Amino acid sequence: MPAHEPIIGIDLGTTFSLVSFCDERGPRILRDERGEGRLPSVIGVTHGSDGKPSIAIGWSARAHAVENARATVYSIKRLIGKSLAEIEQELPFLAYAVTSGPRETIQIEIDGRRYSPEEISSAILRSLKERAAAALGVAVTKAVITVPAYFDDAQRQATRDAASAAGLEVLRILNEPTAAALAYGIGLRERAAADDPETDRQQVAGGANGHVALPMPKCSDSVPADGGEDDIDDADEQLIAVYDLGGGTFDVSILRLEDGVFEVLSTAGDTHLGGDDFDREIITLVTAEVREQFGVDVQSPTARQALRGLAESVKIRLSEAEDASLELDLGEGRLYRRVLTRGEFERRLLPLVRRTLTLCERALRDAGLRRDELTQVVLVGGSTRIPLVRAQVAEHFGKAPYTALNPDEVVALGAGVQASILSGQRSDMLLLDVTPLSLGIETMGGAVGKIILRNARIPCRAQEMFTTFMDGQTAIKIRVLQGERELAAHCRLLAEFELREIPPMPAGIPKVQVEFLIDANGILNVSAVEQRSGQRAAIQVIPNRGLTRAEVERIEQESIAFAKDDIDAHRRIDLVNQIVFDTQKAEQMLARVGSGVDGALRREIEREMASLRAMARDPSDLDALHAALDHFGKRTLPLAEAGVRTALVQGGTQMAREETTTADQRNPEE
Amino acid sequence: MVCSACHRLVADLDTDYFTLLGLERTYDVDGAVLRKAYLRVSRETHPDRFDASDADEAMQLNARLNEANRVLKDPVLRAEYLLELSGGQSSAENREVPQEILTYTLMTREEIEEAHAANDAGALARIRDQATARHDGTAAEIGALARRLPGDATLRGQLRDALNAMKYHQRILAALDGTDE
Repeated sequence: MPAHEPIIGIDLGTTFSLVSFCDERGPRILRDERGEGRLPSVIGVTHGSDGKPSIAIGWSARAHAVENARATVYSIKRLIGKSLAEIEQELPFLAYAVTSGPRETIQIEIDGRRYSPEEISSAILRSLKERAAAALGVAVTKAVITVPAYFDDAQRQATRDAASAAGLEVLRILNEPTAAALAYGIGLRERAAADDPETDRQQVAGGANGHVALPMPKCSDSVPADGGEDDIDDADEQLIAVYDLGGGTFDVSILRLEDGVFEVLSTAGDTHLGGDDFDREIITLVTAEVREQFGVDVQSPTARQALRGLAESVKIRLSEAEDASLELDLGEGRLYRRVLTRGEFERRLLPLVRRTLTLCERALRDAGLRRDELTQVVLVGGSTRIPLVRAQVAEHFGKAPYTALNPDEVVALGAGVQASILSGQRSDMLLLDVTPLSLGIETMGGAVGKIILRNARIPCRAQEMFTTFMDGQTAIKIRVLQGERELAAHCRLLAEFELREIPPMPAGIPKVQVEFLIDANGILNVSAVEQRSGQRAAIQVIPNRGLTRAEVERIEQESIAFAKDDIDAHRRIDLVNQIVFDTQKAEQMLARVGSGVDGALRREIEREMASLRAMARDPSDLDALHAALDHFGKRTLPLAEAGVRTALVQGGTQMAREETTTADQRNPEE
Repeated sequence: MVCSACHRLVADLDTDYFTLLGLERTYDVDGAVLRKAYLRVSRETHPDRFDASDADEAMQLNARLNEANRVLKDPVLRAEYLLELSGGQSSAENREVPQEILTYTLMTREEIEEAHAANDAGALARIRDQATARHDGTAAEIGALARRLPGDATLRGQLRDALNAMKYHQRILAALDGTDE
């Protein structure tokens, strides 16, 4: 195989996003300079003194979410590809302003500028792309991006548009539970072979370098020789359920794994059910109690954002502890306090968890399987850390769920595996997925005629014949819907297509054959031919939601302007942190070495230290700042050497202590 | 379907489903054999295996392959397809159903509604037994006729009638299962 441009795997999550890459050693998460794989899916917009906006992404945006509440965007995945009407129940929980854009799209308004959800997502994707480029040392333009299996066409298209605006070509939109199965499937196959769960656990969890053990057969091994399929042993067949409960979405997929083929049999889910909803149970509780006790609403964006952060941390604590205390300062001397027990929290969660189990049953029924036929139930997504979720799943399926891989990372790892399949590196594995929702056409009287049923294997296509009902009619309008309900009004309108340039003929004579193809990304493609004339009918696709091509391009272009600001902002933060760190360290050294340093040098260092700190307070010229910091580093070199000598004399304890402090200083956000 | 020398896809989108899967054209298709054939052809032709230049063609071919698998897996759809290959009428061309079936369907639906309203599990079980028996009888008839294809116009007409009736039996069972939504 020739060397390919790298294809990265991206898990674009509701709360966190990750990027991975798979080489011959196996898939691995690409981490930031602090070793953190997760990037909070949070964007903060700030305005400099010149009024120009700059964007903070990830941890820094998250750290300033409370004081920058109205300009901090989170959980954008719950909004992407949706209309305002569809997310109405979300609105009370959002601290940022959401308005309606053209064609029923949603827009986020920050300081008078409007952002589409695609634009916000593209900023997160761009950051991941840059991280990958830095880690791999080459430019990255291609990616596999995961989405919830239950995402509809509009949500998939919007995700693809966001990537495109970030300069990423999406080679595959991959369903999250399927990605998880790919990552786990590697382990499950080896497990079956080794029949030793402990060994397997280590293999799957990977070594210190974070790699998942993955044997890479040569390309030529992949195509079985004649009769090779006879080697398929039914005993190797695994039937697994992937239960994926993330920050904002729930999916369950039932898969059959056999001889490297990952066959999705069915999928079910809810794109508005996840950790956010668990937080909201706490938010709702606190809001009601605050109203009762103090007669006020938690209304200001700052208070709402603070409450959201509090709810999330309480939820996380309750996974470990039996109770957690909550405290919310409402200002004017009013302090709300209470202790929430795990039991209380679980009672509020139970209906939500039950909903996921109902969906599991539907998926099983669609797969034509009974619960006891499953060989494995795999848990994916941060919300599966909640003890109640684990217990309910174990009870429902009658077996302990399998959780060897980090639930936050497994989807991204799987995206990396699929990327390596697409790049031709791996040919011993193949993924066969399904479309989660039925596709239909609106017929007379607002009913829906289904043309592709849910859980149909993709790619799949359906052909329908259309004709005219008036003499000389040259255009036919078709409304395409997605969903399970019988009435068009209850399904999701994907698009209106207009078949044009039909040759004028008497009514009922033209025969226009329309082909609906759902591709391997789960995205709909439409083409049409007028059969009598053989003429291809022009199709005007009017997307019901989402961006036009021009809008995607505009975001991409503007983002280039943004990118410079982003880089500057990052660099400024980094430099300032470095100055704080280096000057503190020099101060400590000066104190420690005492008379071990020449008096003139000490005075020089102290002068430079003061001047650096002054520059850091108002960092306008980043290059000058960088040069000054460099100079300071060289100047303090003798000091560091003297420090080492002193430390050696004083013994190792102090060194150890110092390392602890520096580690803390490096993570000012934590 | 895949050129062994250049690994380019050489797809013939007009082959019938049996040829596409390398199976004999017959009503009696073994599920395990079909599955293995389906996985084998998928491995060879899946769009993931090809560069962008062949991806569209692979997509089309696999859409057809998935359709072939869906149709051949299901005995009723398989019979319908064999009838089409034998030049019989399609369900679009001939939707006729004997009056007896229509009457039976109407009555049974009423009975189901009444049993549901009265919460009468015994009645529902009786209706289910009867509906299942009629469904299975029609399925057996379809199988017997489909095995004799291509046959003559009379045989093909009989199969068409049985297939049309089958739709009604399937809907009644779906109504009993509550899966007709």
